[in-house]
Amino acid sequence: MAETIRVEVAYAEPQRQFLRALEVPAGTTLEQAIGASGLAEAFGIDVDALEAGIWSKRRDRGSVLADGDRVELYRPLVVDPKEARRRRAVKRTG
Amino acid sequence: MADRTSLIDALLPQTQCTRCGFPACRPYAEAIDRGEADIDRCPPGGEDGVVALATLLGRATKPLDPAYGLEAPPTVAVIDEAVCIGCTKCIQACPVDAIVGAARHMHTIVADECTGCELCIAPCPVDCIAMVPVAAAPLPRERVLARAAHARKRYEARRGRLDTGDDDSLQRIADKAPDVVAQPVAVPISRNAVLEAIARGRARRQQGPST
Repeated sequence: MAETIRVEVAYAEPQRQFLRALEVPAGTTLEQAIGASGLAEAFGIDVDALEAGIWSKRRDRGSVLADGDRVELYRPLVVDPKEARRRRAVKRTG
Repeated sequence: MADRTSLIDALLPQTQCTRCGFPACRPYAEAIDRGEADIDRCPPGGEDGVVALATLLGRATKPLDPAYGLEAPPTVAVIDEAVCIGCTKCIQACPVDAIVGAARHMHTIVADECTGCELCIAPCPVDCIAMVPVAAAPLPRERVLARAAHARKRYEARRGRLDTGDDDSLQRIADKAPDVVAQPVAVPISRNAVLEAIARGRARRQQGPST
């Protein structure tokens, strides 16, 4: 018998967001869910170049998913937080 | 047959915005049911929402109480990517999991999921979140209710996930370093310890630079 779980795959840019619910066999990995979601094809992005995780925590792509997990792909920050802080401090005093 | 609280809750927009003074839509519904809160406290539900509640409860309708906010066109949150530092505060605040991101990675609002509750605005330490209107006028009632049904599911799923302590970070630390977790993690720092440390530092400076 094939037990299935419900998961989602999410990826977001300011102007377009991908959020797809999937029903996958128990034992499916994060990597497999990303592949099954069709994200790479739909958005034309290199999903392997992005960090991946579940519910805002980075995870190995081999992690086995649980029911209700949301697999997420994370884009890098635009600014270096330390540099941004320095700039804010200058603006405040200057 | 749904209980009356659920019937009331079904008429609320499920933004979970807390503008009514309750921590979420459901507690407001419970308060209305108990007769402890009036039906005019929900700006996202708008005048149509008040009418719907009045009809359900067999009461006269009334205008929204402006003390709880004004009816307005729907908005969604937008993150300024040039400013976001990836702190995750907004993600923790979002009642419907509408934000995708992780620590030190970009946070992004999934516009279709955002209820416009504004709860992510205040926690942001760098003020990088703004609300932008997505329609010129308040949504028609059937759109409000359709969105509400979806938002309720999101909210309840989130509650369920957080209640079960799905956060397995302690377990993962234990897997990597068993001896660390064997000890209690939280060591209380007493105010006295801090004051003593300051006093020690001051004493050292008064003795002059040590060699």
